[in-house]
Amino acid sequence: MSDFAWDSANGIGSASPARVMAWLIRHPPVFTLLLIVMVSVVVGAISPEFWQISNIFDMARASVVTGMFGLGFLVVLAAGGLDMSFASIAALVMYSVTTATAAHAPWLPMPVILLMSAIGGMLLGVGNGLLVHYLKAPALIVTIGTQYVIRGFLLTFVGTELFINIPLPIENFGKYELWRVQTDNGSISILPAYVLVLVAAAVATWWVLNRTLMGRAIFAVGGNPEIAERLGYDLRKVHIFIFAYAGLLAGVAGMLHVSSNRLANPFDLSGSELGVIAAVVLGGARITGGAGTVLGTLLGVVLVTLVNNVLILAGIPSTWQTFVVGCFIVLAGTVFATRESS
Amino acid sequence: MDSRSAALTPAAAAAPAPSGPPFFELRGVHKRFAGVHALRGVDVTIEAGQIYHLMGENGSGKSTLIKIVSGAQPVDEGSILINGKEATSLTPLAALTAGIETVYQDLSLLPNLSVAENIALSQQLVASRGRLARRIDSGRLVATAVRALEAVNLPTDPRFWSVPVAELPIATRQLVAIARAIATEAKLVIMDEPTSALTKREVDNLAGVVGRLRERGVAVLFVTHKLDESKSIGGRFIILRDGQKVMEGDIAEHSKRELSFWMTGKKLDVMRYRCAAKGATGLLEVAGLRRRGAFADVSFSLAHGEILGVTGLLDSGRNELARALAGVTPADGGELRVDDKAVKLNRPIDAIKAGIGYVPEDRLSEGLFLEKPIRANIVVQVLDRLRNRFGVIDVRRSRTLANDIAGELQIVAANLDNPVQSLSGGNQQRVIIGRGLTIKPKLLVLHGPTVGVDVGSKDTIYRIIQKLAGGGMGVIIVSDDLPELLQNCDRIVAMRKGTIAKVFDAERVDEETLYQALVAEQPPKEQS
Repeated sequence: MSDFAWDSANGIGSASPARVMAWLIRHPPVFTLLLIVMVSVVVGAISPEFWQISNIFDMARASVVTGMFGLGFLVVLAAGGLDMSFASIAALVMYSVTTATAAHAPWLPMPVILLMSAIGGMLLGVGNGLLVHYLKAPALIVTIGTQYVIRGFLLTFVGTELFINIPLPIENFGKYELWRVQTDNGSISILPAYVLVLVAAAVATWWVLNRTLMGRAIFAVGGNPEIAERLGYDLRKVHIFIFAYAGLLAGVAGMLHVSSNRLANPFDLSGSELGVIAAVVLGGARITGGAGTVLGTLLGVVLVTLVNNVLILAGIPSTWQTFVVGCFIVLAGTVFATRESS
Repeated sequence: MDSRSAALTPAAAAAPAPSGPPFFELRGVHKRFAGVHALRGVDVTIEAGQIYHLMGENGSGKSTLIKIVSGAQPVDEGSILINGKEATSLTPLAALTAGIETVYQDLSLLPNLSVAENIALSQQLVASRGRLARRIDSGRLVATAVRALEAVNLPTDPRFWSVPVAELPIATRQLVAIARAIATEAKLVIMDEPTSALTKREVDNLAGVVGRLRERGVAVLFVTHKLDESKSIGGRFIILRDGQKVMEGDIAEHSKRELSFWMTGKKLDVMRYRCAAKGATGLLEVAGLRRRGAFADVSFSLAHGEILGVTGLLDSGRNELARALAGVTPADGGELRVDDKAVKLNRPIDAIKAGIGYVPEDRLSEGLFLEKPIRANIVVQVLDRLRNRFGVIDVRRSRTLANDIAGELQIVAANLDNPVQSLSGGNQQRVIIGRGLTIKPKLLVLHGPTVGVDVGSKDTIYRIIQKLAGGGMGVIIVSDDLPELLQNCDRIVAMRKGTIAKVFDAERVDEETLYQALVAEQPPKEQS
């Protein structure tokens, strides 16, 4: 790169290990991928069961809800905000839509139910966006507030009981098979079709962030909101969009959760927030906003799911999972922090 | 004063003859900020294809004026006309749509977006009228960016325009900002002190860009205080002083002396504040100080009672050196000795303990607790000294200290319990200097002591600085305001590209020579 004016003008040469490091820092998903490979190799060496297809299917299934949450969180984070309310939104949407459908229209087809969940989540997200924009308060504080408000509303006014008789379309949706594999010992592994929803959401999020003016506006606001506003970007539109989008994904994720578990528990999903944030940060998104990729986020989700699901195969007690995830976060945080100071 | 209405002077010959209403007009514009009447009835007319130089001292209202022209601030009184049509409630997007592009001093680049995006996204935003639910036309984005990069002589290679702006050096960023301004169908390009970070060659390059814009009928408004550069570019000048337009006309018809007189309202032969003889004994000894990517091999000494100026362009390392002396962004290596004792300044507290007071450059973001009382802002660095035996702040002693400081620095405030943001810029600056004094420093580092301060306040601050030095305190003034350094210092250190280019005796050097030392080209150094 030394043939360019900006490099020589900089006057700072760099040795080659430093360059490798610099390249790594500029491409954070590579770091995430390295961690995934490392964990896979170690666990795979200790327990060959790891490489079984059933295990991979299990992880794909377990990644769906976290992945949907992560994508929504990424979009808000890219604009410099933090959304803590997605799990509450998902819980409220899944429980209300499931119970309402069961009571009034158990024959509704699944696409309509998913659409209702999406709209419900989106409306709650719009509320977040309006509050953040007009109160001019930090998104973190506002969404911690709405997280409690929404959960309180769910448990006070909608219900606290485990709901098992979920409508048939919802139950069947979770059973559609994308891929069925019969292993040598006769057991059957199934990759459920609803993982495609995550794939679709990832493609849509990538498209919005990279191919639309809104996507660039989101990063612009995440880079520096004052300058973005001065350049003519409408902060109100961006604020409302990011939270509406995160809410939409959360609503759909909630319904997928019901489909896969075949029951609706209003106490579910609570407490999943930090795991999602960990995944997004491990995927290389900058916690102060303005940087992050869909691919990185998906890799981060895979990494967290991997650690949560496979350590047990290596004979490591499950209590160690959080310990390992924590170490990874500190490691990733240290590596990515050098990006800020460079 | 002599106010020959220069609006009657015909436009310079090269400009196309204006037909119909002028492109842009301000009529009787007033603007007030908390307590400051920044603009008091200003009229400005901008014709297509003309070059304007908006001049004035710091605090004269230049920045406020361009914020109004670009729609970033609404007017309080008066009206705005674009092409003769009423446009008083101008928003940033409306200004962009009308073809008004601004290159702010902070460049307004988005650090995390690529060069191409920074240059060409605005065009698509304007085309969609601010609507964001649009696909990006990446082909057009790149084409626009490449065309604009060519116009400012930057590389048009994808390996250049796909890099995030945060990774570029400041001079390159400046050109990127200018490229953005001219990427769209601009009718008026405003450049806020565009040459402050550029070398001589880059300034010539810029003058060429401006000439080409003008041929296309684009008006350019420079905000500047560099008379030589303005005279070499040519065009019309508008001079503001204390929020009023005092003069305008053709820049070729007036001498630098006349222009300076209108800007300051004073004779050009500036008073030298410095009179006291410096002490003989060494106070500060700096040897081989360096910080990676900022400055290297910086060595100088400072005697008790001496005032040393440090200046340079934005990328000269002067700001980083000032912060290193304050322990804010520490040096990587080299030696610092205060009163013959080696000190390491890794954190601000180290500097305070070594007896170094620091007045930061940006008082709003680095210095003041804006909503807190003036009194609290003054005493905040010495709270542990003001504790009584229960560990509680002794309010009476803190009041006494604040009153003493306020008296010494002539801080004009109705009540020291008012929030510090209620003060004028000059008084705010004195609050910060006063805070620096509470630690009873041996050495005071003043970083841009009069940025955004009006002329009268400058005078007061200069007298205070001289008085402090007279009492034996060593003072380092880091500033890009050359007259300020010439008026106040014993010696001036000129920095260029991270090293000391030359040290001048302030009494025997003129502004021109000093400036040449800052911008001089030097053979490119060997890269390691």
